[in-house]
Amino acid sequence: MNLLEGRRVLLVEDESLVAMMAEDMLLDLGCEVIVAMRLDKAVDYVHAETFDLAVLDVNLGDALSYPVANLLRERCTPFLFATGYGARGLEETYRSVPVLQKPYQAALMAHLLNQLLAGGAPTWGGSGPEPATCACHRSTEAPSADGSFQADLAR
Amino acid sequence: MPNTRQPLQSVPAASTPLASLRPGADQLFETERRLNAVLNNASVSIFLMDDRQHCIYMNRAAEQLTGWTLPEVLARDCPLHDIVHHTYPDGRPFPLAECAIDRAFPENNQERGEEVFVHRDGHFYAVGFTASPIRDDAANIIGTIIEVRDITEEKAAAQRQRLLINELNHRVKNTLATVQSIAAQTFRGQTDQAARAVFDSRMAALSTAHNVLVEDNWESASLRSVVERALAPHRLAEVDVTRFVLDGPDARLHPKVAVTLGMALHELMTNAAKYGSLSIPEGRVAVSWALHALDDGRQQLALSWEEHDGPPVTRPTRRGFGSRLIERQLPMEFDGRAAITYAPDGVVCQLEVPLTQLGWVGQETLDGHPAR
Repeated sequence: MNLLEGRRVLLVEDESLVAMMAEDMLLDLGCEVIVAMRLDKAVDYVHAETFDLAVLDVNLGDALSYPVANLLRERCTPFLFATGYGARGLEETYRSVPVLQKPYQAALMAHLLNQLLAGGAPTWGGSGPEPATCACHRSTEAPSADGSFQADLAR
Repeated sequence: MPNTRQPLQSVPAASTPLASLRPGADQLFETERRLNAVLNNASVSIFLMDDRQHCIYMNRAAEQLTGWTLPEVLARDCPLHDIVHHTYPDGRPFPLAECAIDRAFPENNQERGEEVFVHRDGHFYAVGFTASPIRDDAANIIGTIIEVRDITEEKAAAQRQRLLINELNHRVKNTLATVQSIAAQTFRGQTDQAARAVFDSRMAALSTAHNVLVEDNWESASLRSVVERALAPHRLAEVDVTRFVLDGPDARLHPKVAVTLGMALHELMTNAAKYGSLSIPEGRVAVSWALHALDDGRQQLALSWEEHDGPPVTRPTRRGFGSRLIERQLPMEFDGRAAITYAPDGVVCQLEVPLTQLGWVGQETLDGHPAR
């Protein structure tokens, strides 16, 4: 299953060398990649353009990428978080978003992105204030971190 | 306060004559009651010393800190040093003559220092002190007021942080070495030696960039050190001043800037050694930089790399790792600019990097733009 061919993917990753590699992985999967390495640039991109998918590094050094996540959610754009800390490093509100463990692995990234496209936007869990709900309701069967596929092999 | 011209005296001796000295004894009593309320509820320990360094007053916090009550200290009738500071932590006796607090019988207000005191029960505890002189009307020093805080917890926290940073340094270095080893094992016999050498030198450059961070506890890095280390052929060697001219002021760099800049300089140097001015003995490189103030209050680093006296330059046919890192990633990572010019008489690279505030998320408020 490769639904990724030709998809526009926003990659938010703040480390130059890591961003190069993740971009190459997405390019190899057939994606069109737009790279943002700073929170303000990522927010600008989401305001100005539309994406099929997004890969968000959580910790951008001087900021966290949650504002981008909220914007993507409003736009019903499915996304995953990439982090070295695992799902436990995420704020409560975002715990159900799929997590790609760093370092990036192409096969895992492909699997999670395919799953996102097949299932639609992620659900939101936790008891904190809910971000704006997705307006399009295009899927009721959203993947979650508790699904059959465990991205975080350490758990 | 009483206008005594006598050296300060211990409280029992002093309070009686003071109360009868003046007609407004009630007012004096009221003032004393207020001062006692302040002193005995203060969490910092306060000692009042006479000109012989005998303690004539200590507040409740001081009694708790030392394990001695004021009447007990007064009854000892000896310098406070002999009660709370008489032994070095290693067990040797600590004579009054060697005591920094005593010697400091301060000329200036608010002399500060750190010492280790002995509790009544024999245990040692670290304290920070502030000492100020008390003067009579003629400005003669007649006593000292010493403020003391128990800093055992602060010391322990600093010690834990040192241990963590040492562990971090060790882990980072080990992880880099491990990655290098995995690559060596994985690609043994499958990759040509030249590619392996390039990989190893990049790992070494990454490691070198981290060395500069280690020196300042990962908080920031010296710009000049980053440049010098990146351009030294081996980690321990100095920059070859016959080949490089370095010119620019030092500055503090955010760790991320330090690492990426270190890698960028490594790529420029590798390219120069292979194709550019460092590929022949006569070739030179001038690395110069300056700092400019930006409108938003930040500083911008403008750094230029200029190769001279090398072989004629030909434009590379494909964009490699180095030019991608420098021209594309570095500007994106730091909201800066970068350009490499393949001028016929030498490669020129110009970088402009706004220097962000030092610190990481969690230390500072987010300086990005919230989306909501």
